[in-house]
Parts: sequence; structure tokens; C-alpha cells
Amino acid sequence: MTATDFLALSPWLALTAAVLVVLLVVAIHRDHRTTTALAVIGLVASLLLVPLAAGSAPRTVTALFSIDGYALFFLVLVVLAALAVSVLAFGYCNGCEGRYEELYLLLLASTLGAAVLVASRHFASLLLGLELLSVALFALVAYPVHQKRPLEAGVKYFILAGVATAFLIFGMALVYAQLGALDFPAVAAQLTASALAGQPYLAAGVALIVAGLAFKLSLVPFHLWTPDVFEGAPAPITAFLATVSKGAVMVLLLRFLLGSGAHGSANTLTALALVGIVSMLVGNLLALMQRNLKRLLAYSSIAHMGYLLVPLTAGGEFAIETVAYYLAAYFIMTLGAFGAITIYSAPANAGELDDLEAYRGLFWQRPWLAGVFTAMLLALAGMPLTAGFVAKFYLFTAGADARLWALLGALIIGSALGLFYYLRVVVVMAGTPRQQEAPPKSILAGNVTLAALTILLLALGLYPAPLLDLIRHTSLGVLP
Amino acid sequence: MNMIFYLAALVAISSTALVVTSRNAIHALLYLIVSLFAVALIFYVIGAPLAAALEVIIYAGAIMVLFVFVVMMLNLGEQATAQERRWLQPRIWFGPAVLAALLLAELLYVIVAGASGERTIAPVSAHDVGMSLFGAYLLAVEVSAMLLLAALVGAYHLGQRMSSAED
Repeated sequence: MTATDFLALSPWLALTAAVLVVLLVVAIHRDHRTTTALAVIGLVASLLLVPLAAGSAPRTVTALFSIDGYALFFLVLVVLAALAVSVLAFGYCNGCEGRYEELYLLLLASTLGAAVLVASRHFASLLLGLELLSVALFALVAYPVHQKRPLEAGVKYFILAGVATAFLIFGMALVYAQLGALDFPAVAAQLTASALAGQPYLAAGVALIVAGLAFKLSLVPFHLWTPDVFEGAPAPITAFLATVSKGAVMVLLLRFLLGSGAHGSANTLTALALVGIVSMLVGNLLALMQRNLKRLLAYSSIAHMGYLLVPLTAGGEFAIETVAYYLAAYFIMTLGAFGAITIYSAPANAGELDDLEAYRGLFWQRPWLAGVFTAMLLALAGMPLTAGFVAKFYLFTAGADARLWALLGALIIGSALGLFYYLRVVVVMAGTPRQQEAPPKSILAGNVTLAALTILLLALGLYPAPLLDLIRHTSLGVLP
Repeated sequence: MNMIFYLAALVAISSTALVVTSRNAIHALLYLIVSLFAVALIFYVIGAPLAAALEVIIYAGAIMVLFVFVVMMLNLGEQATAQERRWLQPRIWFGPAVLAALLLAELLYVIVAGASGERTIAPVSAHDVGMSLFGAYLLAVEVSAMLLLAALVGAYHLGQRMSSAED
């Protein structure tokens, strides 16, 4: 490790330091406001160090990390999402009973895990990053322990994630037994289509690794945990689960698959396309029947991860551009939607307002909040003027360029179904209000976050060129 | 040497099956310890004495003793002594004892015969493991430290709330 290595790693080191500082400060002096401020400072420090790290990128730091534009772009995305979640969580928890300081420590640790994932180029860092992300999330999902639903969700997530990790490790062991390498470039060099066809253990290993990662992405055969965990977890944590956890794993899967020759194998592509089609259809169909908003958004996130398999199957440089833009848009839309639920639910000691009926007439009671929620839902449906439209346009282009007609068909059917259930929520919000409720507690920090997300949503929809330039300058060139 | 491998693998599989089928948690744990010993023997046979030692010390030694301890702790109460007396009947420890004795005999044979690792596998010494852990994989060790910290804080939080909720 040289000084340049430390420089390249500085955003990651800032996150690590933030975890330790929060730990020490909480041990000495418990205060919700101070802890949140420290977490936010840590995240901002990590962002500020990114230009410094970019100066020495691309650089391979030990065998484990590859600090390139691709890693730094997604690091910024993950840290910004964590920033939004911290601020939302502050508004959500402020004034509640119980101790909420550990939440920020775990949130920072989980973010560090995601940051490790986006930069990893080795099975060891993949596994450790994924585990750091998940282990902190188990505790975060079950954070309000005095309530039943979060605890149940935490236990479910814990057991199923453990099984998924077992799949992943067994897959890595099989790949290592066949190829004798653990770092991605060395694995990629030997992982050709003919090797996959000739060595069944290798194919099984790759399949197990992809299955383990697909669990985290809640792609369809591995999606069963998603609705229950999304429903049970506190709303800001659900936002984190839907964005940072899924996004980081998708970034890693993209680096692993597109970099290797596994992508040239027809079987791999068929498997990816099948999982994608089933995810889009099942996610959207099951979302139609939901009366609970968090479950609805859970199924919608399953469908969105299915959409992302279109560029992943298509492959090539354009896939990276598509996934990068789509993830940025998806982060904004999902954080905004869960942010609106968070703000409407807080203070929520008695439980969360996630039943669709609780939102009847929201337009007349809290027009601003309902307006933002509507914008986010329309963006998730892919309406023009929002970032969601440009993102969906990218998906169609990627699919059409690679002539993936079956995937495109599922994408069109899924989007049509999606439009229906997103609009149903909007219609309910525009209905006649129920009896007058107590005046809502206004949460300044949460409202500022939502306003920023809305501005970003519209800015990326109307004028996406700067972000696209940034993606082209940073993320491309990661392929060998 | 192949015979030893197959016997140890047989013990590992049968004792693991008994772990799953045992109704009593303590019995299951005892079979699990036997299974871990069997895996340690397999490591030794294929020429990885360090991995075998770690398996015995960490898994069979530290972690399983912790498991047994926790399960024993959960059984506090009036009938605990009577229950333990019932547990210590020969027919209960006979199964694990036979399997463990078989492994011991094998292990003694392997050590006496001095034939570890008939395959051409480069030996991995403790020194090599240490050098790569704190050299090439230093950052992995650091990330593991953060992982353990997150697990510790999470367990502290969840455990602490449970006890305060019971008050």
C-alpha cells in the first residue's frame, strides 16, 4: 500500500472513519441530533474526497479493489442515497421513544458495504462487502424491536439472506476449484463460453453465484422475501433496501458478467432473459392486487430489477450507460416515493401509514406531499418529463439494438400494467378525504430532501445531457 | 488413504443427517461436533493440516462450545437437573461416541503412518496464511473488522431492546 493507494481509497476510508467516530461519540454522549449530524458529515466528507480519488483513478488497490470511474460514479450514487436516507430517518425517528443512535452507525456500515461492492474486483471483497451490507441491514430492518412486524421482517431477511450467501460461497468454491483464481480479471480470462459448456462444475458455480446475487436483487425465483421485508421494515430503511442494497449488487453483477466471457454463452443469455421476463411479469402482476403501498412498491421494485436485465442481457458499452442512468433515475424515484411515505407516517410509533386507504384524499389535506408522491409514481411508470421516461427510453434502445424481442415484449406488457397500479394510487389520493385529521407535524429536513429529489427528477427528465456526459466520461471503459 | 477419506466422509454425512433428525438440541449439537471433527480429518487427509487444526480449534472448539453453552443456559429451571440426568444415558451418547471413536482411530492411524497429503498439493503453513492475510488481503481483514463491528452493534441493539421490553 502506497500513499497513492490511500488517496484512491480516501472516500472509502472516510466512510470507515465516520462509522468509528459515530461509535465513539454514541458511547460517550447519546444525542439523536449530534449522531445524525456526524453521519451526514461523514457522508459529505466521503463525497468531497471523490475528486481527490478520481485524480489517481483508474487504479487497482491490492488484489481486492479497482478504483476506477465506474466505481467512483456508483460510490457517489450510493453515498447520496445514504445521505437522503439519513435525513429522512432523522425526521422519522425524531421525537420517537427509544434509542435511535445506533441506526446511523448501522446505516453508515451498510453504506460502506455497498461502497466496497461497487469497487470490488475479487470474490473476497465481493463476499465481505455483501455481508457487511446485509449484516447491518438485518439489524436495521428489525430496528424498532418493540414492534412485531419489523422483528418478523428482520428474522425472515436474516434466514433467507443466510441461505443466499451459502449459495454464493458454494458457487465461488466451485469456480475456484475449476479455475484456480478468485479475482475477476483472472476468472474472466478463463470463463469463456466453451469453458462453460465443457465444465459442468464451472457452469454450476457461475449459476450459484448469479443466484446468490439475484436473491439480493429479488429477481423472480428468489423474490419471496421482498414484500414481507419491505412491509415490515421502517419506511426509511425500506428506501435504503430498495435503492442502495439492490443498486450496489446490480453494479457488481454488471462488472462480473460483462467483464467475463460468460456473457458470450447462449445458455447464460437465455437464463438471464428468462429471469428478466418472469421478473417483469410477476412483479407487475402481483403489484396489481396490493392494497398496501409498501408491498406495492416492493413488487414494483422486483419489476424494475427485471427491467434492468434487458441491458444486462444486451451487453456491451451501451449496457453500462443504460444501467448507470437507469439506476440514478430509479434511486431518485424510489427514494422519493418511500420518502413521501416516511414523511406521511412520521411520527410513527404506533405503526406506519402504508395502507392505501390511509392515502384517500391526500391531495386535499397535504397537496404538496401528494404532488411529490404523484410525480414519483408517474416517473416509476415512465411518464415523459420525468427521469423515468428517459430511463425507460434507454431500456427500449438497449433492447432493440440487441434484438431482444421477447424481453421487449415483457417490458411493454409490464410497463402497461405498471401504469395501471401507479395511477390507481394517484386516483385514491385525489378522492374525497376521510374525516379531518390532526394537523400534521412538519418535518423540515425531510421536506427539503423531498424537494431536492423532485427537482432532480424533473431536471434529469428535461435535461439529461450533463448526467449522460458524466456517465460516458466515468463509467465506460470498465470492460476489458 | 482413500479408505480413510471415505470413512470420514461417511461419518460426516451420517452425523450431519443425525443433526437434522435429532429432536433434542443438545444431541443435535453433539452430532454436529462429530461432523466437524470428520471434516477436520478430511482436511488433514488431503494435506491441509492448518485448515484441519483451525476447524477443530475454532469450529469444534470455540463455536460449538458456545452453542452448547447457550442451549444449556436456556434450559435453566427446576427440571433442568432431572433433564440432564435423562440426557446422560448411555443410549444417548453411544451414537456420537462410536462415530468419534472411529474418527480417533483413523486420525491415529494417519498420524502413525505419517501419510498426510498423497496428492500433489502445495502445503500451506501458518506463516503463509499470516503473510497473505496481512499482506495481499490486508484490506479484506479491515473490511471483516467493520463487518464484525456492525454485527456486534446490531446484536447489542436487538438484545438490549428485548430485555427492556420484558420489564
